[in-house]
Amino acid sequence: MAQRVPAIEKPADGPHVVAEIGRLFALLVVATLLQTAVAANIRILGANPDFVLIFVVAVALLRGAEIGAAFGFVAGAIVSIALFEPPGVRSLALVAVGYLVGRYAETADLSPSVAPIVSVFVATLLAESLELLAQFLFGRQVPLLYLMGRWVIPLLVLDCLLAVPLYLVARWWLGGERHVRISET
Amino acid sequence: MSRKRALRRRIVVAILVVLSVALLTVYFREPSSGPVHRAEASAMHVVAPLQSGAARVIKPFRDGWDWFADLFSAQSQNSSLRTQVQQLRAQLAQQLVMQQQDGELKSMQRLRDSAVFPKGVRFAQARVIASSTTAWYSTVTIDAGTAQGVREDDAVVNGQGLVGRVSAVTAEASEVTLLTDQDSFIDAKVEPSGAQGLVAGSVTGDVTLQYVDRSEKVVAGQVVVTSGMKGSIFTPDIPIGQVSAVAQQDVELYQSISVTPYVDFHTLDLVMVAL
Repeated sequence: MAQRVPAIEKPADGPHVVAEIGRLFALLVVATLLQTAVAANIRILGANPDFVLIFVVAVALLRGAEIGAAFGFVAGAIVSIALFEPPGVRSLALVAVGYLVGRYAETADLSPSVAPIVSVFVATLLAESLELLAQFLFGRQVPLLYLMGRWVIPLLVLDCLLAVPLYLVARWWLGGERHVRISET
Repeated sequence: MSRKRALRRRIVVAILVVLSVALLTVYFREPSSGPVHRAEASAMHVVAPLQSGAARVIKPFRDGWDWFADLFSAQSQNSSLRTQVQQLRAQLAQQLVMQQQDGELKSMQRLRDSAVFPKGVRFAQARVIASSTTAWYSTVTIDAGTAQGVREDDAVVNGQGLVGRVSAVTAEASEVTLLTDQDSFIDAKVEPSGAQGLVAGSVTGDVTLQYVDRSEKVVAGQVVVTSGMKGSIFTPDIPIGQVSAVAQQDVELYQSISVTPYVDFHTLDLVMVAL
């Protein structure tokens, strides 16, 4: 019979919550600065790395769906506004990424070495697909083959290369995994 | 307990999705002085100095990377460049003959001098400090803003030609929409034929000259410059690029003209804003 077992309990007391929010806020600042100041100056293989997406994935893996989605929303809104992009599209994509990766972390047995790479790979594809759909709805050109070859594939390679180091940084900073894992027993 | 948790989780996500859509709707519906646009300006105020610093720190590494990339592509470029040089020599000779024969020296002279801006126009020099991090927007951020006299829709050029126009401006930084952006449309004409059309960018970075009548004589190698028509935000004769290919189909009203911009947008660094 399936039974839901919390693997790791959330901290409930006040000081812990404040410290947790502080750590998440600091991570948000770092992710935003990396995306707006550093990623905007790095173009490798024709794509700019998506630091924010990787940090959203890391937070979702470490803290679960709710916090992952909220972190994705705030990070997406700030980065869009700072880079003069229409805000909302990136937020929407990162909410979906945070939620789905968080659910994956809550329901699956994760291998710490593989989970970040797999999650970032799928998250990048998902975020780019949502962005593509949004641009199509805005009435802009959407040359699929060009975008796949010249943008999405290089982006996947870059993001996957950065996934593990950034995940490890996030895990060290946030003090390990702390979310309710639902497992089948 | 877990049911409650699942319900709360879904409510949180639903609220965030609604907020995202609301943000997007507000952005497109509000005037440029609205709260989201003002937030952009405030964010730029904070981020621009950081971008500027990061650009300076990263530049040597980027140059090193470009050097390696250039090294690998140099061999294949060599043969194609030789072919191009031969073609350009032929085109140059052809153009010189045309100039003498057709008396179009004046227009070529104007281009060569490239003193296209009216007297009294001042320039603000700026450095590119960031570029768009998605494939959808061909924009860069420069470190000059209203404090340097930059205004929206000012022309941005470099030594090679037209770069784009200022699309958003804050006190210390501005966003420049490059002429390769798919939302960029520039009144242009072909020299020396004088054929007029619109230079349009695309998401692939390809630039085309659109709405040129089929009766106009346009050939590869001709120069594309801003037309400066009444209502245009650009002064006339700013060099844009060179016609690289022309195609005509019987069913089309207009010619399909590809343009190779003079500006190398991959290595864009110093630019000037015409004030």
